[in-house]
Amino acid sequence: MADAPFARACEPGVHPLAGFASADESARLIRNCRYAVERMMRTLGGWIALTPELSAKLLLGRHVWDCAQHADLLGKRLPELRARAQVSEAANAEFAAFMDAIEEPEQPGQTIERLVGVYRVLKPHLLATYEADLRRVNQVYEPPTQKILARMIEDERQHVQAGRVVIGHLCASAALEDRAQAWQARLEALLATARGVTGAGLPESTALDASTPFPMLNDDAHQFVRLERPLSRWPMPEALEDAVRAFADALLSGDTEAARQWLTSTADLHEGAATALAQLSPQAHRVVALARIGQKRAVKIRIEGRAGAAMLLTRWSSTDGGWRAELLELARVDPALTA
Amino acid sequence: MERPIAYDKLAREDRFVRMRARDVAQLKVEQGLPPFPDLTSRESIKERVHGIMVGELQAMEGAGRTVCDFPDAPWEFTMDMARQVWDESRHVDIYIRLLEHLGGYVGEFPETTILWRCACAEDAAARVAGVNRGLEGLACDVFNQMVHIARKIGDPILERAVDFVLADEITHVRMGSKWLTRLTEGDPERRRRAVEFQESIDERFNLGGARRDGDHDAVPISIAREARELGGFTGEEIERLIKTTQRSQVY
Repeated sequence: MADAPFARACEPGVHPLAGFASADESARLIRNCRYAVERMMRTLGGWIALTPELSAKLLLGRHVWDCAQHADLLGKRLPELRARAQVSEAANAEFAAFMDAIEEPEQPGQTIERLVGVYRVLKPHLLATYEADLRRVNQVYEPPTQKILARMIEDERQHVQAGRVVIGHLCASAALEDRAQAWQARLEALLATARGVTGAGLPESTALDASTPFPMLNDDAHQFVRLERPLSRWPMPEALEDAVRAFADALLSGDTEAARQWLTSTADLHEGAATALAQLSPQAHRVVALARIGQKRAVKIRIEGRAGAAMLLTRWSSTDGGWRAELLELARVDPALTA
Repeated sequence: MERPIAYDKLAREDRFVRMRARDVAQLKVEQGLPPFPDLTSRESIKERVHGIMVGELQAMEGAGRTVCDFPDAPWEFTMDMARQVWDESRHVDIYIRLLEHLGGYVGEFPETTILWRCACAEDAAARVAGVNRGLEGLACDVFNQMVHIARKIGDPILERAVDFVLADEITHVRMGSKWLTRLTEGDPERRRRAVEFQESIDERFNLGGARRDGDHDAVPISIAREARELGGFTGEEIERLIKTTQRSQVY
């Protein structure tokens, strides 16, 4: 149920020039919204580099500019209301703390938290706030604000829908969805404590029609997801495929001597690396990257075990004896990274 | 949020193989290949397109960091950088589709992080000088040449798509020219450092000497004088760039 301040101001019988706020108060509300939008824009911009998944990267990249335009529109409205242009102001310390929490997840493995914070909590709240404001602004003397709200509502609807598509794609397991829900609950509690972006309470959330298409721009999140999909089969010479498989099988079985037979004299399987792999209790392997360097091939092999996973970077060369690895590097061992 | 971030925090999906540009070039030279794709075959165009795709990705990430890292910079500067993020995100999309058009896939060639490292400069003026003027200027040269080659080999998909990206790049160079001047107004020392940074990039990244002054058909990658002038380069700056191409490093 919506809080009382968001009830429709212009009920039948109310004078058409009746308003819900003074010009000064309206300017404050705009500064409050601008605070959220500007911080969100900077946060999205900063996260692009910290986010591994291409679909999420492109999503954030597309929305930074819309957020910047929203902040700009709000900021330009301020002098029209006797206030300084392009100023942001948090409604209260609790809302600033909520935004601090939104920004928190910076690790590569926290894409879910990043997206959930923005696309399941912050943007839906802003959308609901804009819609509530649009219902109550005076239609005679506040059309400049109305137009800004209408533009932001249209964009935010699309952003939220696109975000949900990408989150749905990335939440590939029940465990990830649990994580997403836990993070969402934490942020929603902080938002409630702050009483929303303006400090006036939480407006009723907006219902979104998931089937609504993206009408204007090529910002279809399904396309971002498509661009992220890796190949189902690597275009690898058959002999190389056999060599990589035999090498990785030997590693899995702990037979370092057999594994070494697939190396050239320039490569070495260090004892430390062999031990680190053995400690994972490896069970399976798969190729996750294949890059060409002239006639050579760089192959990333992911080793998965009961105690975690590791990433091996290898470089293969075609020799008289067949394909052999001339470089071997244990790029990453992550005990927490299970298949 | 941490501001700025260390360059090694750049996050990638597993399907990317990251290598130093120097190592990739050396491995290719050892195999009797040119250190950089020379655009003389469809395969080399594909490799070049892949390199541009990861460059666009890093340009998007770099511009995003600039939006994030400099909250006290002029608001119009932030707006320009935010716009650039959007442009670069479209470029990534375009180049992935061009890569598919050429029969390639994301991750088919190693990724080098030259552009990203430049985008991690601590000073905003150095970032716009190095990335927007140095590297996006280089992009103007390469894209201009690619449009010419696409026309020559009869590939209208490549020609039209790259032509539009080139238009965006000129805009980004222009932004770089504008903000290099505005951010360093009244601070000649800051300007000198930023320009030096840009010139070091111009000198180092001449694509193994492939970038030169001359007609499209006479040199591997022709310096795009007109595009650079539209982006705010002076005649003197273009002449200086031409001189640097004559003493370029291998990569």
